[in-house]
Amino acid sequence: MNDKFASWPHRVLAVVTGALRAITHLMLNIPERPMRWAQRVLGGQRIAWLFLTPNLIIFSLFTFLPILINFYYAVTGGVQLWPSERPFIGTENFQKLFACDNYFDYSTCDQDLFWRAIYNSMKFVSIQVVLMVLFSLITALVLNRKIVGRGFFRSVYFFPVLLSPVVVALVWRWILLRDGVLNAIIESMGGEKVLWLLDPSWSFFWVIFVTVWAQMGFYTLILLAGLQAIPRDVYEAAQMDRASPWRTFRKITLPLLMPNMIVVLALALIRAVQTFDEVFVLTGGGPGSATTFLVQYIYNTGFAQQIQRFGLAAAASLVLAVVLFILTMAQLRASRSKIDG
Amino acid sequence: MARLQLKKVVKSYPSGDVIRGVDLDIDDREFVVFVGPSGCGKSTLLRMISGLESVSSGEIIIDDQCVNDIPAAQRGLAMVFQSYALYPHMTVYQNLAFGLENIRTPRDTIAKKIAEAAKMLQIDHLLDRKPTALSGGQRQRVAIGRAIVREPKIFLFDEPLSNLDAELRVQMRAEISQLHRQLGNTMIYVTHDQVEAMTMADKIVVLRSGNIEQVGAPLDLYNRPENRFVAGFIGSPKMNFLPGVISSIDSDGVQVKLDGDEEPTILARVDGAGRTDGEKVTVGIRPEHIHVPGDQSTGRTAAPNGGNTVKLAVKHTEQLGSESYLFAELSGGKRVVVHLPGQTSARIGDIIDVQIPAPSCHIFQTDRGEMALPRLDAPIDRPTTPQTDQ
Repeated sequence: MNDKFASWPHRVLAVVTGALRAITHLMLNIPERPMRWAQRVLGGQRIAWLFLTPNLIIFSLFTFLPILINFYYAVTGGVQLWPSERPFIGTENFQKLFACDNYFDYSTCDQDLFWRAIYNSMKFVSIQVVLMVLFSLITALVLNRKIVGRGFFRSVYFFPVLLSPVVVALVWRWILLRDGVLNAIIESMGGEKVLWLLDPSWSFFWVIFVTVWAQMGFYTLILLAGLQAIPRDVYEAAQMDRASPWRTFRKITLPLLMPNMIVVLALALIRAVQTFDEVFVLTGGGPGSATTFLVQYIYNTGFAQQIQRFGLAAAASLVLAVVLFILTMAQLRASRSKIDG
Repeated sequence: MARLQLKKVVKSYPSGDVIRGVDLDIDDREFVVFVGPSGCGKSTLLRMISGLESVSSGEIIIDDQCVNDIPAAQRGLAMVFQSYALYPHMTVYQNLAFGLENIRTPRDTIAKKIAEAAKMLQIDHLLDRKPTALSGGQRQRVAIGRAIVREPKIFLFDEPLSNLDAELRVQMRAEISQLHRQLGNTMIYVTHDQVEAMTMADKIVVLRSGNIEQVGAPLDLYNRPENRFVAGFIGSPKMNFLPGVISSIDSDGVQVKLDGDEEPTILARVDGAGRTDGEKVTVGIRPEHIHVPGDQSTGRTAAPNGGNTVKLAVKHTEQLGSESYLFAELSGGKRVVVHLPGQTSARIGDIIDVQIPAPSCHIFQTDRGEMALPRLDAPIDRPTTPQTDQ
């Protein structure tokens, strides 16, 4: 009786295992005949296309087609969404974007907000990327050392990367609002409230701070991987060669980390130029247009304003695409020359 | 002048001691080889000397100065790593110059020293190349060059040849020995390869489990191993170990009856003082000390001093042309390896009489660290000269 009782879970397990094995066998064997047939009929080259087709369809529909449509919208005018109702206007949208008496004074431009967004983006990118690379590098160097709780800190720094940018921005908004956590702390210590998100300088600072905080973990991870790939022997050889810690960093670590640094720089740069969601939720581009960047200008122009100027937005997005293309090419070239050299 | 002393040096990790109270004296200009199986602590000991590993207790003294608290950079030593540890982004010249630049050596002095070292190591045509464009042997030369240009008190080599192929290893072995004669520095060399140790060292330090088993000149270790571990580690193929009991002790030596009813008795010219009849021991016989009297083809036809004659059943032979191996069994089934010069006429299934000279036999105790009994006279080290057919 006991034996029977003891053996029934084993029987169930055996049945389940057997069933799973049969299903797996079936799954693997069902496509075999048609695949063999396809291989015979189509040949090796064509069958590759068969596998690529589903992905190509998705890519075409959701990436390639929108790019083409974007081109079409950029050279057509009017406020209609339906393509056939949009008149062809050539380069008028681009002319409008670039109509400026003095490019260094955006108030003299026809689309002053576009130029304001360009300047804001340039300022943001130049500060944010430098800080991003710098802090990621410092953090990676610290996390690469034998410190207490290294595993914990590595997770902690990466944690913000796992959060949605919108969540990150909402959390920080909650901290930085007039009646937010930070002001409550300042007040409890006898200080006065600061309008963090309403003061143009402070809001710009916090936009940089929050984006660096949110994305730094990812870049730290890339640099940490690079640091760990540097053999310990090389450092020991440098130690025997009487290299000071600073010289070891400058002459050994930095050059050997350069391929990873270039990747980080390229990714950070491209992402910084595209910054939208964190800023949109945190400051909404404000106060005024103090934190309006290029992507937000495109969004505002195309979708958020009462008169939706799709053509202008599409033209601006092409300008952004050109900027990103140039940046990517420059970085690829730099990384190639570094690796080859 | 660079004399190194280790006094009761210990290296402990949470998992246990890796080096357990090592005492060692290394004289100026000596070429010392640390040898031992994997995990014996030889590399750890070298790294402790270099300063790359801290000392848990004991003292490391270089030229009468305790260097325990002196960082690696300040000890005046240079190390050649197993993986070469060249700076991959620098050219050969920059690799060689880096150490000198760190101590602010004038540029022309750097250039001069590099030119000399490069010429000595025959890498002067490679100075503009990066390490990735070099072969294993060239990389090793650059690593040695990096050590040479710094003119260290002591050179440390951590298994420098283990990544090279067999042919290159033989070549580099000779080059490092030549370098030692040329430079005259103290050199400490770590290897697990006993051939490297035997061919290069002035003094071999045999390590096991963080302890020194024996220190001595290569042939001393071969001829007079202090214990069974050293006897088994030094020499290739490995010494034959045959367990038995002492059957008699007299002025000729110690007679050991090998375990097993049909196994023979072996006489060894060792001092049996303090030993008693019936005591368990292990007889050690080197494969190259067994002679086959009837085998004309090998040239080693008779043991010079006579000794023990035993029967062996040949189970397998390996003929390498210039030497032969017999894998045989004694009457009772104990396995014995015989190493003969030249080519043997013995065939599988043959029963052959072999002679084992009593002075070539070792006896090891089975307890107390398996120590060897003292030899009564000089052992017969060399086989008789092979005869050539007229």
